[in-house]
Order: sequence, then structure tokens, then C-alpha cells
Amino acid sequence: MFYFYLRDGEDLADVDGTELPDIDAAARHAATVARELMFKSDGMLQRDWSRWTMSVRDSAGQELLSFALVDFMEARSGDRPVN
Amino acid sequence: MPSETLALLEPGLKEVSASSGTVFLEPGDFIDQVYFPQSGMISLLVVTSDGDMIETSTVGREGAVGLHRGFGARRSFTRATVQIPGRFSIIRAHTFHEVSLADTSIREMIARYTEVLWAEAQQIAACNAIHSSASRLCRWLLQSADRAHSDELPLTQEFLAQMLGVRRTTVTLLAQELQKRSTIRYSRGKIVLLDRKALEECTCECYHVLRYEKLPLKIGVTI
Repeated sequence: MFYFYLRDGEDLADVDGTELPDIDAAARHAATVARELMFKSDGMLQRDWSRWTMSVRDSAGQELLSFALVDFMEARSGDRPVN
Repeated sequence: MPSETLALLEPGLKEVSASSGTVFLEPGDFIDQVYFPQSGMISLLVVTSDGDMIETSTVGREGAVGLHRGFGARRSFTRATVQIPGRFSIIRAHTFHEVSLADTSIREMIARYTEVLWAEAQQIAACNAIHSSASRLCRWLLQSADRAHSDELPLTQEFLAQMLGVRRTTVTLLAQELQKRSTIRYSRGKIVLLDRKALEECTCECYHVLRYEKLPLKIGVTI
């Protein structure tokens, strides 16, 4: 189970978590979510993307990886964030 | 629907209840019943071989699913699933076909409805390709509330994610931001629209375009 957080000062959290097989899958999932959020969008409901980071945590709350959303702005599918 | 037309269909019509997520038709199924939503709503989703899906059309009281059976045997191209639970009037497709063979007004009604449905499908195709997930979410919430005649929508985020063709995580994060702004309030299985004005500011133009398109509801399908 992995938990996906968006931070811009405050947290937005995928509170229910998402079941994924391993950290690689979680990284790809994070990349996909980042692209889905940013596609044709200037920011998270008017707050620009350069302020946001995404982090992936495990059930214990331990952060496994994080990245700035804008790192993924022009990424191709299949890329994954590097911690 | 004109009373003369309804009189022809009435003997074959029966009303059923269906809960959210009920699948009426899968892609490739022969259409064996025609569904007229009374209080519920149906989503038409394209499903890919990977199991991804996205909504391409919604049908509420203003329309029906399977109407083209009036023109002869037809298969469903999409998955027809109950989006908002409620009551649906259904009639056996074979019966509907026979009635429409004898009655030109039914065939004209189907043609008029097709025009509206086509316009909507085109707009939604463009919207899904061009607009952000945030604005599509706002559009979708507004459209569903309009059709359900209620600001309380019995929907899960998982379901919303399927309608919009995005990950559930994406929906959760967007919904959280909307909730932080008191635009919506959500709990398990329910989303409440708190600030329609804010949603209308967030949505893409497609919401207004589709609303206008659907305004001439005198298509005559409503029972």
C-alpha cells in the first residue's frame, strides 16, 4: 500500500492509499498522476505547479521518494522520477 | 414523449430500480432492452483491451439507451453503466423495434435524439483530449448535479476516476483541493456540491456548450 502526497506548504493526501506491487510501480503511478494533474493546466486550481512537490510514503508514513512536479512537466510516458 | 407514441410503448414498458455500477450493456452485446432513465442516470464508457475506460456520454431523463434498436438489430459499442442509481423504464428491444416499424414519429424522435447525442459525444471527445483533469472534474460534477436535480451525488472517487479516465489518486488530490476551498464536501460514497459558482469558474467551456445543446429538451424521448 502506497500513499501519495502533494505538498505546497500544506499537504493534500491520497488518504485511502493505492495498492501497488512494489516501489517501481509506485514511482510510475506517481509519474502518471503528476502528468494527469498537470496536463493542460496552469496549476492546482490556480496555484502554479512550480510550488508543488509529490511524495510517496509507505504504510508506516516513511517517505520513499519525492520530486518536484515540474520535473515531470514534459516527461514522456514510461519515465519515472529519480530519488 | 407524445401521448400517442407513449400509448404504443406502454404495454411493453416496465420500471426497474438499479444501483450505481450496474452494467446494462457491455461492448459488443446485442441490445436486448431499451432503457429510459426516470430518476437514475447511465454513463456510456469506451473500454480498452487493457481495461482502461473513459466516459463518452451521459444519458438521463432527456434520453434513452438502445434507441437505435428502432432501426433494427444493433450491438452496443460502449459499456452502459448506471452512474446515478434510480428507476429506469425498460422495454424489450424486439417490441420497441416492432412498434417503431409501424410508427414514423418514433423514428423521427430517434433521429432528433441522435443529433443531440452526437453533438455531445463530439464535445466530450474534444474535452477529454484538450482540457485539464481539474476542469473536466468540475464539468462532470456540475453536469451530474444538473441531471440528478440534486447537489448530493452518491458517487465514489473510484467511479469518478473511471468516468474521467484518470487514476483514482488524481481524483482524490483534486477533490481534496476542492474541499479545502469549500467548493465540495465528500465522504465515503458521496460528494456534495457546496459552491456551484466556484465549480462554474473551474470548469471548461464544455459545460456551458453542452448545457445549451441539451436545452431543447423537446426531443420527445422523455416518458
